[in-house]
Amino acid sequence: MHLQLRSIAKRFGAILAVDGVDLDVDGGEVLALLGENGAGKSTLMKLLYGVHRPDAGQVTIDGRATRIDSPRDAMASGIGMVFQQFSVIPALTVRENLALAHASTPWFTGRGARRATAGLAPLAAIAPDVPMDARVSSLSVGQMQLVELAKALQQDPRLLILDEPTAVLGDDEVRRLWSLIRGFATRGLAVVLITHKLADVAACADRVAVMRRGRVVASGAARDFDATRLLRTMVGERDLAAPSTAPLPADAPTRVWIRGLSARGPGSRIDGVDLRIARGEVLGIAGVSGHGQDVLADACAGVLSPDAGEVIVDGETLFAPRQRAPRAGRVAYIPEQPIRNAVAPDLPLALNLHLDRLHTLPAIPDRRRMEADARALLTRFDVRPADPTMAAGRLSGGNLQKLVAARELCGAPALVVASHPTMGLDLAASAFLYHQLFALAQAGSAVLWISEDLDDLLHHAHRIAVLHRGRIAGVVPADQRHRQTIGAWMTGHADAEAA
Amino acid sequence: MTTFDIVLGSFLVSALRSATPLVFVLVGETLVQRTGSINLGVEGQMLVGAMAGYGAAALWGDPWLGLVAGAVAGMLLSSVHGLLTLAARANQFASGLAVWMLGFGLSAYYGAGLVGRKIEGFGTWRGAGPDSVPVLGPIVAGMTPTVLLALVVAPAVAWWFWRTRTGLVWRAVGESPEAARAAGLRPIRVRLQAILLGGLLSGLGGAALSVDHTRTWAEGMTAGRGLVAVGLVIVARWNPWWVLPTALLFGGAEALALRLQTADAGVSAHLLLTLPYITSLAVLTLTCLRDRGQAAPAGLRAVMDR
Ligand SMILES: Nc1ncnc2c1ncn2[C@@H]1O[C@H](COP(=O)(O)OP(=O)(O)OP(=O)(O)O)[C@@H](O)[C@H]1O
Ligand SMILES: [Mg+2]
Repeated sequence: MHLQLRSIAKRFGAILAVDGVDLDVDGGEVLALLGENGAGKSTLMKLLYGVHRPDAGQVTIDGRATRIDSPRDAMASGIGMVFQQFSVIPALTVRENLALAHASTPWFTGRGARRATAGLAPLAAIAPDVPMDARVSSLSVGQMQLVELAKALQQDPRLLILDEPTAVLGDDEVRRLWSLIRGFATRGLAVVLITHKLADVAACADRVAVMRRGRVVASGAARDFDATRLLRTMVGERDLAAPSTAPLPADAPTRVWIRGLSARGPGSRIDGVDLRIARGEVLGIAGVSGHGQDVLADACAGVLSPDAGEVIVDGETLFAPRQRAPRAGRVAYIPEQPIRNAVAPDLPLALNLHLDRLHTLPAIPDRRRMEADARALLTRFDVRPADPTMAAGRLSGGNLQKLVAARELCGAPALVVASHPTMGLDLAASAFLYHQLFALAQAGSAVLWISEDLDDLLHHAHRIAVLHRGRIAGVVPADQRHRQTIGAWMTGHADAEAA
Repeated sequence: MTTFDIVLGSFLVSALRSATPLVFVLVGETLVQRTGSINLGVEGQMLVGAMAGYGAAALWGDPWLGLVAGAVAGMLLSSVHGLLTLAARANQFASGLAVWMLGFGLSAYYGAGLVGRKIEGFGTWRGAGPDSVPVLGPIVAGMTPTVLLALVVAPAVAWWFWRTRTGLVWRAVGESPEAARAAGLRPIRVRLQAILLGGLLSGLGGAALSVDHTRTWAEGMTAGRGLVAVGLVIVARWNPWWVLPTALLFGGAEALALRLQTADAGVSAHLLLTLPYITSLAVLTLTCLRDRGQAAPAGLRAVMDR
C-alpha cells in the first residue's frame, strides 16, 4: 500500500492542531512519528482513521483519492489504529471486546461471547496469557494495550497506526512488540509508530518524521537520524540538563512506613507489603506489570481501602482498613492512566487543578483568582495550551499527564506516589518532571516511584524494591551491579544471590 | 380449595395483570438507557399507544389489531424524539418532555370520541376446568394474551441482549459511544434503533393497558406509569433479566394497595396509592447499597461529541 497525505489541516477552535501536513507511508516500512507533546501527532492519525474530519487536504491510497469520514471507512480502506487513550471498553470482557468488531462473529454469541472465536487468533499469538473472560477493567495497562493491538490486527489492516504503544509496556513486552512490528513490515504492512522513545526508533524504524506545532519539520531515512540529531530536531537547541537525585544521608529518618499492607484490586492484589521510605528517599518499585503495582499505588494513596496493614506517614496512621484520612496536601498521587483515574475530562483545567481540594474552596469560589492561579501553575509545568477554561479532555495525551503532575507536585507532600509519571511525556517534559520529583525528595518528601523502565530506576532511585505476585521479592540499592538480581526477582526466581 | 388459596391466587393474578403494561414499557426503556440515552417521552408514547390501540379495537372489533396499532403509534411518536435528539441534537430531556406533552395532547384530541365506547376484549380461559387446582388454578384462569406475551417478551429480549452479537453491539454503544465508533460501529444508528424499539414497546404497553387491562379509554389514563418506568429501570439494574421481577414487585404493591383500599384498612387511600413507589424505592436503596451504582452503563454519564 502507498499512502499519501497532502496539505492536511485541522483546527480546534483557536488551536491549529495540524497545519498543512504532507506525509508518505509505504507498505513494508515502519515510519516513526515523533514530536513534542501537543505537536499534533495523534490528531493527524485520528484524521487518517476518520475519528475527526480534516478541514483541508487530501488522502490518497494507492493513487486513488480516498475520503475517510468515519473509522468504519478507514477500516474498509485497510487502516487499523491503536489509540493512545485506549478504545477498549472496560465493562466488557476481553472476548466481548474482540468479538465486537470482528466481521465473522456469529449472530448467536452465547454467554460472554464464548461462541465468538474467530477474532481471537491475533491475541492468542501476541499475548497468550491474557485471560479471555476477564473484564478489561481488571487488566493491567500493558495487557490492555495488547488487547487493543489484537483488536486492530483482527481487521487484517494494510496500514497499522500505533499511538505510543511502548509508553506503558515493560522491557520484555517492548522487545516483543518491536519484533512484532518488524514482522508486520516484513509481511508488507505499512506501520506508523508514534513514540517519544529514541530506543523505539533505533529498534524498528525505517523512516522518521518529526512534527512541531502541527507541521512536519523534518523527515528522512532513520539511519540518517542518529540520537543526537533526533534530539536536536525534537527539542531544538534547548539544553536538557540531566536530572539527578541527591545522595541520601545514611542517617535519614524514616518518613513513611508501609506496614504489612494487603489489598485487592480488580485484577491483582498485594500481600503483606512492608516498606520503609526515608525522608528524601526515592524508592523505586520494579516488576512486570500486573503483579500488583496498581494496587500498591492505589492503597498507598488511600484510593483503595486495604484489607490489612497500614500506611504510616510521619508517625501517624493515614490509611488502614476502615480508616481513611484526607490525603490532600500530604500524599501526592500520579496514577497510571490519568484520563481514567485522575481528571474530569469535561471540566475546565482550572477546576481539574483544584479537584483534590474542592472542599477547601470558599462557597462561592473566586473564579478569576482560581484561573489566575491555574494559569501560573500551567505555565510552570508547561501544559499547552495554558488555557484554564479549556476542558481537560481536549488536551493531548502528554499534556494531560503534565496537568496531573502540576496538580500533585505543586505542594510539599510528605509522600509522593508516582505511577509511571513520565508516561507519554516528550524528552524535555520527562526531564522536567524528574527534576520536580527529585526536588521534592530533596526538600524532604518520601517518593514511591513505580516504573517499568529499569534503566530509569537504576539511574535515579536510591533503592529498588521488586514486586512479584503481590509480594516484595527483595530490596536492593539502585546500582547496576544488582541488575541481574532484580531481573531474577522480577521473573519469580526467589533468590539469585549467586548472580 | 380453601379461601386462602383463592385469595392468594387472585392476588397474584391481579399483580400479574397490573404489571403487564409496565413490563413492555420497562423492557423498552431499559434498552434505550442501555444504549446511553434517556427517553422521558415514554409516558406520551404509552398514551398514544393506549388511545390508538383502543380506537383500533373499537373500530375493527379485534383486540389483536388494537395491540398492533398501539405499538405502531408508540413507535411513530418515539421517532419524533429520535429525530430531535439524534439528527437535530436537541437536549434529550427537553425533547422527552416535548414528546410527552405531544402524546398527551394527541391522545386527548383523537381519543375524545372514544370515551365511553365499548370494545370486544380478549377472552380468558374460563371454563377449561383448572379452577380446582389450588393457587395455580385462578392464575391460569386469569391469564390473558397480553400477560403471556409479557412473560415471553421480557426473557426473550434479555436473552437477545446478553447472548447475541447485536445485543453486544448495543451494550458497547451504551458503555462508550466513542470506543464503539472507533471499532467501526455506528452509535447514532444503534441509539435510534433502541429509541424506536422502546417506542414500539411502550406503545404496546399502553395498548395492553387500555385494550386488555382496563378495557376503557380515558384521557391521561396511564397516570404516570411511563415516567415510573423510566425510574424503575434503575431498580432493574439496567438489566432486562430483572425487568420481570421489578415489574411484578411494582404490580404486586399496586394490587395490594387496591386490596387494602377495598378491605377498608383504615388507611387513607392517598397514602395507600404511594405503596408501589415506596416499595420500589426501598428495593432500589437496598440494591444500590450492595453494588454502589456500578450497574449503570458508562455512556449514560458521558457526553457524545465529535
Ligand atoms: N478534541 C479536541 N478538541 C480541542 N483541541 C484538541 C482536541 N484534540 C486535540 N486538541 C489539541 O490539538 C493539539 C494537538 O494534540 P495531539 O493530541 O495531536 O498532540 P500529540 O502530538 O499527540 O501530543 P502527545 O505527545 O502529548 O500525545 C493540542 O494542542 C491539543 O490540545
Ligand atoms: Mg498523542
